[in-house]
Amino acid sequence: MLRISLAAVALLSAMQLFGASFATSTRVVREFPIDPAGSVWIDNPFGSVDVIGGEGNMVSVTVDRVITAPDATSMKEASDNIGLSFEGDPKVRLMRTLLPPGRNARWTVAVNYVVRIPRSVNVKIGSKLAEHIRVAHVNGSVTVNGFSGTLIMEGVNGASAVNMVNGRIIYDYAQQPVSKAQVQAVNADIDIYLPPASNFSWVANTLNGDILTTFNVRLPRFSGTIFHGAIGKGGPTINTETMMGRVLVLSKGSNASQAQSMRQNSANHQPVPSDVMLQPKQIIQLPYFIGDFTSVASIADVTVGEVRGNARIETGAGEVELGAVFGQCNVTSLGGPLNLGDIMGALFAHTGAGDIIVRAARMGGQVTTDGGLIRVIVAGGPMTLRSGGGDIIVRQFAAAMDAETTSGDITLTGDPHQRTLKVTARTLQGNIILNVSPRFGADIDATILTTDPEVNELTTDFNGLTVRREQVGNKTRIHATGKINGGGERVELYAEEGDIQISSQNITPIKLATPKQ
Amino acid sequence: MFDCDAMRENMPLLLTESLDPVQREQTHQHIETCPICVAEWNAYKETWLILDTLPEVAVPPRVKQRFLAEVSPAMVKTNVVPFRRGRTARWLAQAAAVVVVGSSAFYAGHRVAPRTQLIPTEAQVTAIQPAAPYYSIAESRVLPAASISPQIEGRPDIQNVQFSDASPLNQQIGVSFDITSHVTVTGRPTDKSMVRLLRYVLENEDRESPSRSRAIDWVRATYAHVGNPDPEITEALANVLRNDQHQGVRIKAADTLQSLQSTMTDGTRDALVEALKNDPNPAVRIKAVEALAKLARSGVALDPDMVDTLRRKASQNDENVYVRVKAAEALSSIQPR
Repeated sequence: MLRISLAAVALLSAMQLFGASFATSTRVVREFPIDPAGSVWIDNPFGSVDVIGGEGNMVSVTVDRVITAPDATSMKEASDNIGLSFEGDPKVRLMRTLLPPGRNARWTVAVNYVVRIPRSVNVKIGSKLAEHIRVAHVNGSVTVNGFSGTLIMEGVNGASAVNMVNGRIIYDYAQQPVSKAQVQAVNADIDIYLPPASNFSWVANTLNGDILTTFNVRLPRFSGTIFHGAIGKGGPTINTETMMGRVLVLSKGSNASQAQSMRQNSANHQPVPSDVMLQPKQIIQLPYFIGDFTSVASIADVTVGEVRGNARIETGAGEVELGAVFGQCNVTSLGGPLNLGDIMGALFAHTGAGDIIVRAARMGGQVTTDGGLIRVIVAGGPMTLRSGGGDIIVRQFAAAMDAETTSGDITLTGDPHQRTLKVTARTLQGNIILNVSPRFGADIDATILTTDPEVNELTTDFNGLTVRREQVGNKTRIHATGKINGGGERVELYAEEGDIQISSQNITPIKLATPKQ
Repeated sequence: MFDCDAMRENMPLLLTESLDPVQREQTHQHIETCPICVAEWNAYKETWLILDTLPEVAVPPRVKQRFLAEVSPAMVKTNVVPFRRGRTARWLAQAAAVVVVGSSAFYAGHRVAPRTQLIPTEAQVTAIQPAAPYYSIAESRVLPAASISPQIEGRPDIQNVQFSDASPLNQQIGVSFDITSHVTVTGRPTDKSMVRLLRYVLENEDRESPSRSRAIDWVRATYAHVGNPDPEITEALANVLRNDQHQGVRIKAADTLQSLQSTMTDGTRDALVEALKNDPNPAVRIKAVEALAKLARSGVALDPDMVDTLRRKASQNDENVYVRVKAAEALSSIQPR
């Protein structure tokens, strides 16, 4: 006996030494009466849930609690702290797994429920992490709110509302749908299997995935990214929405490889620039591309080292990075940062939100963001820069510059080789700093509109400016005009609630390398 | 509280009758109405009396000579004629000691953050500690003329000069002024004093935008290479993200937080969630969601509010698509706990 005990101790020690863990399982079985139109609510953060409809007027619950812990102490702690709660009355039955807040990460628990209910009962399930959630043969309404796992709705004839984040959602209709289904997910794929002779209205929406079906869809149309269509004669609406996943609606007897995309094969769909969100997702990574490069995608991460031609990129969201473009460059994004290198042709870059960095715009161009920073290292041609909120920084410009931001600082540095340059800079909240060479000549018109004239000021290293102050409502306008170094192009600066600084500096010019064709 | 601080600064001058009549009256009135300052004032007076009763000890000439040689070798002259300290000298020493005690207390009170309201207790002097060898960066200070070098170098920018000669009887005059001095503080990025100084620069600078923006750039460049930067740095950036009206500054603050996430506190994460929920600038929301996505990928447990915010952002049809995509990416990395 002693030998066996010693062996057990040695075995346990060895298991602990090698990081093994213990698991223990306990089962609880309960039965409760329930009304035929009653509801069953199950709240189980960790573990699977099976709800099976049948006959009778009783709810039968079997709960298996499986605890995994590395040692006996953790096991006991887990066992003492995890509880099951059965509450309610025949109208509403609530069954919950009770977990301690801020639990010890050393142990894990999976509580698996198998619940048998009368077919007509309504079901509501809450879950965080489940291997699966399965609801079968239920005619009552079903609501599922989960985070991760596979949800299987099998023979559910009642109305259903499903909301998941990750995982997969499968609807398997035993007969044609007779009630509405609202299926929402973030990253989950949605698969729906229906009898071939089904009649229903279908609404689908996805940003990143595709919308596929083997049914013959009548009256297909897109409203933005939302697809509408009718199957058979139409009927109850099945609404399928997943942001990053795909939607697949299959007629039973067909398979996924036969499915057609509603995005690409929509009969009425004529590609136009504004429907970028209907294009499939793309991830492009190329060291170089010879010829004109075109990419249009709903969500695209594009990285090309060198485009030996023109570049045209249109994306709904994503990150765009181009090393060098030998021709014209046209990049439009509804959101995401743009990182552009040496652009030798004209540049047009716009993003709905995000920073834009341009190493060199040799021919100049237009760069706009609805919110974000704009940083241009070298502007060789006339440029227009617009930000809906964010700083604008130009390290060297050699042609006319027009910069405007709703809120942010504007810092512009003129090419020291240029004796005069046309500049327009405007910020509705922020400062303007204009650095030019000591011999820079211009007709200056600089205005500050401020509520705090003691703090905001106009400073310049040049002589020849006349400064006037006047009260405009509750604000003070500081207006400086005049010619510096005998005059030149017009330099118009306007800052609200900020400073304007025109400084004379000996600037070291930035030299661009000559590209190898 | 502000009044108390100002009044305590005045106490040494009140004791030496160096305040102008208006300030003297104000200080007396405040002391009469404030129980904390009454205790403080009593302590000052008690200290003054103790100093008055201390015996005079003559400094041995050799000690004095060595001391002068240490502090200013040029001033050491062998033909110095020793003199006996008179009553005026002792009076000055008492005033200087009170100023030192007062300044130390003022410095200590300002250095401790957050500020705590103490329960009033009767002040008692148990020991007089020498002043800490710290250079205090304070809004205002009172210095005896003897502590200022007679050599004024570098043409300091002195403004708002005021003179006071409260009591013609005591031969004391006062010159008050604002001075802009250039101070360079050197140290390691992890030194607490350096962290506190940077936090102050980030949070409190009045002439905000260009320098705060530059400060954030500098903080990012510096602390990106420090293994575990002090959480006070990320908290300061979080406060900038919450409070700065300048959108470009908020974008930079959120971006920098992303690169310093190893020391993010709960408050810092809350600031990112708040920015993701409410900031009107989509670029700030992008930086915030990117920072949260990076946190999620690193395996940090996100609290339910963060997960809920990400979930709602991912599904919000009128949100920028890139923000939605990044929120969805963050959610895909989260393992529920």
